[in-house]
Amino acid sequence: MKDLPYDLWEPVIGLEIHLQLNTKSKLFSPAPNHFGDEPNVNISVVCTGQPGALPVLNKEAVKKATLFGLAVKAKISPVSTFDRKSYFYPDSPRNFQITQFENPLIRGGTIVADVNGELKTFPLDRAHLEDDAGMLKHFSTFAGVDYNRAGAPLIEIVSMPCMHNPKEAVAYAMAIRAIALYLDISDGNMEEGSLRIDANISVRPKGDKNLRPRAEIKNLNSFHFMEMALESEISRQITLYTTHPHRPPIELIPPGTYRWDQESRQTVLMRAKESADDYRYFPEPDLVPVILTQETLDAWATALPELPHDRFKRYVTDLGLTPYAASTLINEKNLSDYFEEALKHCPHPRPLCNWITVEFIGRLKESGKTLTNVGIPPAHVAKLVTLIEENKITGRIAKAVADEMLLNAGLDPEQIVARNPDYQPVDDLAIIEPIIDQVLKDNPQSIADYKAGRDRAFAFLVGQVMKLTRGKASPQVVNDLLRKKIG
Amino acid sequence: MKPLHHLSAVELRDAFVKGEVAAVKIVETFLKRIDKHGKELGAFLSVLGPRALLKAEALDRKRAHNKPLGKMAGIPVAIKDNMHIAGENTTCASKFLQNYKAPFDATAIRLMEEEDAIILGKTNLDEFAMGSTNENSAYFPAQNPWNLKCVPGGSSGGSAAAVAARLSLIATGSDTGGSIRLPASFCGIVGYKPTYGRVSRFGLVAFGSSLDQIGPLAATVADAALAMEVIGRPCASDATCLDLPPETYSLLPNLKEIKFGVPFKFLESLAPEIRANFDQSVAVMKSLGAKVIDVDLDLLKYSIAVYYILATAEASTNLARFDGIRYGARSKHAKNLEEIYELSRKEGFGPEVKRRIMLGTFVLSAGYQDAFYKKAQKVRSLIIDAFEKAYSLCDAVLLPVASSAAFVAGKFRDPIQLYLQDIFTIGANLAGLPAVSVPSGYDQNGLPLGLQIIGPQLCDVPVLQYAHAYEQATKHMKIPPGYTA
Repeated sequence: MKDLPYDLWEPVIGLEIHLQLNTKSKLFSPAPNHFGDEPNVNISVVCTGQPGALPVLNKEAVKKATLFGLAVKAKISPVSTFDRKSYFYPDSPRNFQITQFENPLIRGGTIVADVNGELKTFPLDRAHLEDDAGMLKHFSTFAGVDYNRAGAPLIEIVSMPCMHNPKEAVAYAMAIRAIALYLDISDGNMEEGSLRIDANISVRPKGDKNLRPRAEIKNLNSFHFMEMALESEISRQITLYTTHPHRPPIELIPPGTYRWDQESRQTVLMRAKESADDYRYFPEPDLVPVILTQETLDAWATALPELPHDRFKRYVTDLGLTPYAASTLINEKNLSDYFEEALKHCPHPRPLCNWITVEFIGRLKESGKTLTNVGIPPAHVAKLVTLIEENKITGRIAKAVADEMLLNAGLDPEQIVARNPDYQPVDDLAIIEPIIDQVLKDNPQSIADYKAGRDRAFAFLVGQVMKLTRGKASPQVVNDLLRKKIG
Repeated sequence: MKPLHHLSAVELRDAFVKGEVAAVKIVETFLKRIDKHGKELGAFLSVLGPRALLKAEALDRKRAHNKPLGKMAGIPVAIKDNMHIAGENTTCASKFLQNYKAPFDATAIRLMEEEDAIILGKTNLDEFAMGSTNENSAYFPAQNPWNLKCVPGGSSGGSAAAVAARLSLIATGSDTGGSIRLPASFCGIVGYKPTYGRVSRFGLVAFGSSLDQIGPLAATVADAALAMEVIGRPCASDATCLDLPPETYSLLPNLKEIKFGVPFKFLESLAPEIRANFDQSVAVMKSLGAKVIDVDLDLLKYSIAVYYILATAEASTNLARFDGIRYGARSKHAKNLEEIYELSRKEGFGPEVKRRIMLGTFVLSAGYQDAFYKKAQKVRSLIIDAFEKAYSLCDAVLLPVASSAAFVAGKFRDPIQLYLQDIFTIGANLAGLPAVSVPSGYDQNGLPLGLQIIGPQLCDVPVLQYAHAYEQATKHMKIPPGYTA
């Protein structure tokens, strides 16, 4: 990857994201929209394409899709319509999908995302409502179809070909997932397929305006895999173009559908596109146009919750978090909400963020658990940080307390500290003063440095005292006494 | 009292409600008639005797206990076999659905049963309602009770034959391009296609979704109106069903102040006998106080071309679900997925259905869609405009139902010639208009002819009022000779 002539080649990436909406019922039927049940229990006569069954549009799905459009400041069509998209496959109960081809609900809009500390704006082409297919399950001697997912509401979000490296694609996709979570329109669960990504990718000599043939990588089901797949595909395309500089691009990269093979760490061709698929789109005669009045749109827009990008700006501007830390928080809504809750009990956002995103998450990394489900109330983390900030405990003790909080989720850090004599800060002057004297005596140069205005020298002296008290001396007492003695 | 099958549905209902006849007696009478005449007419694909008797017994008990009775209490009804009755077969006269059990009730059927109608059975039709002679039934054709050698018309041929021969007093039909009105005309009864969206399509196996409408076939306009009062209701399971309160069909036989439009130019090539019959009908309307003006509906000459593009396009996707995967006939010879699709459809569908699926697939294909499907949509809009313009000048349009009376089975070998039979009926489907076929006399062979009255959208009540006035003034309706006894 690194040895590729990136300065000479520019990747162009466009993403199609299928986002499953978390409505109670399906897009066109009253059957439950629920994942993980026994096959073919969440179905109705519509989901199995029975003759005589008719689709009836779920208003909740229209609202949730529209909220997405409003959140990305897109143009919401006052009148949008559905079309039939014909293709035969056993997971498609009517052998046509009901989608919005001609008049999508959402046009345009932008996604703003932090890419390595830089805010970038990615334009959207469109987003539209459509129903999901069922799932084929293969057994040793036969295949079965599970229609539980058939008819689940999706929005397909199509970006412009506007991303130029895998990091941008990941940031864009994570931003969309975050928006979905903040709006509560999807659970965004990639493992369960609630968020599925198809990537279109081509590369071209830097400066070229024309796009070269693109590969379509289907069903990227984690951000990590997407990044790897894109990197691998970019590398494959650049290598082909540089090794065969005189062959026409269309011969080197024949358009086709690929999948990411995690085993071989390669993109694998699934199907070459001989000619454009003919889906024979035409207006769905069983449905009437979706009409949204300006009043409805205004009311929904006014009621939008705080969105991830707004939260990001608040974290950076008002709370002084770094863009990296702010991104880490906002991309996981649960975590960000946890932080918000803790913030109510603790007026120190930066250390609080650090303890949440570094200390606790670091401790949990191996366990597979997350801070939001491990049972530690946000107020406890807030208390811990407050204890540190008020110099009631030292950093070293705080880390030990954090370990105990994880072992006994629900234990109040104040109680942990109170119960364990080892965690009591030593504030007895009779113990601390001789140690301070000793440190001062051993480090005359530091005293001189401090007096010359070097603050770090002071911190060094505090550190020495802490070392000798094995981190237990009350930082407040040490600070005060040191200052007094150096004078 | 007259024999039960000589009563209108309204008269029979009244007799039952007054206690003059038991529901069980009604059912036995009509089951006997089906038993006697059903075969020769090919009218029924299934007879639901035990179900009808159970319902009749329940009705007799209900009446004995002085419980309130529904609007269609005791009226025998036959259902076109492309509408669902939960738990019963819906075959659509296709081999593909030979053993398909309907998983739910069609809304229109449920509404009639809730009003205490008694369902006798399921009637024959052209396979998936595709045809205008009933010869396309995969099982057997239906015959015309006026002349068994003649077709009853289609696609609701079984329903029309059943009502004409009084094997049932009311039958349901579905009308995509004339499938209620044409057989009603050929069999000498009343057939009514409501405004698009007036009756729920939920539970009707779709042919051309933007054109399909369920409606009644009956011996009299009043009987058709009664059925409309019951089935013309909003339905949450059909997004295209109108959200309007049900209407009351009071039939005042008064045509004063009414203006009928006739597209005289469009009728110039009409056969003399049909023209004479139509002119007579126009004269009757005038004698009843109506005014008649000339309107321009020349665009209707394109209606057949438009219809056979749009209806087949919709049908090609509506019938895509019949793939042998979830229900219906799966070919025994299929060895893989492709073959399940290909062979199941090859074996399950008849030639006319295949022809229309291919036609519809073609007109939607990339490269042809603009020339066919999209152009046809534009012409459809123009036809709608032409009707609107006509209705700015008149209250309803008068047309013949067909360019001939019923003809001998097998007469048309060329499907295009047969498609041309729908020239007068398709316009109402393309524009979603309410249209009725009412008996207007007989041709020189004694076969019935029909007058068509087409109203503006939502004018279901006025259309039936005009038809009622005409019917009361003419009284053309008769029971065919072999079926009076």
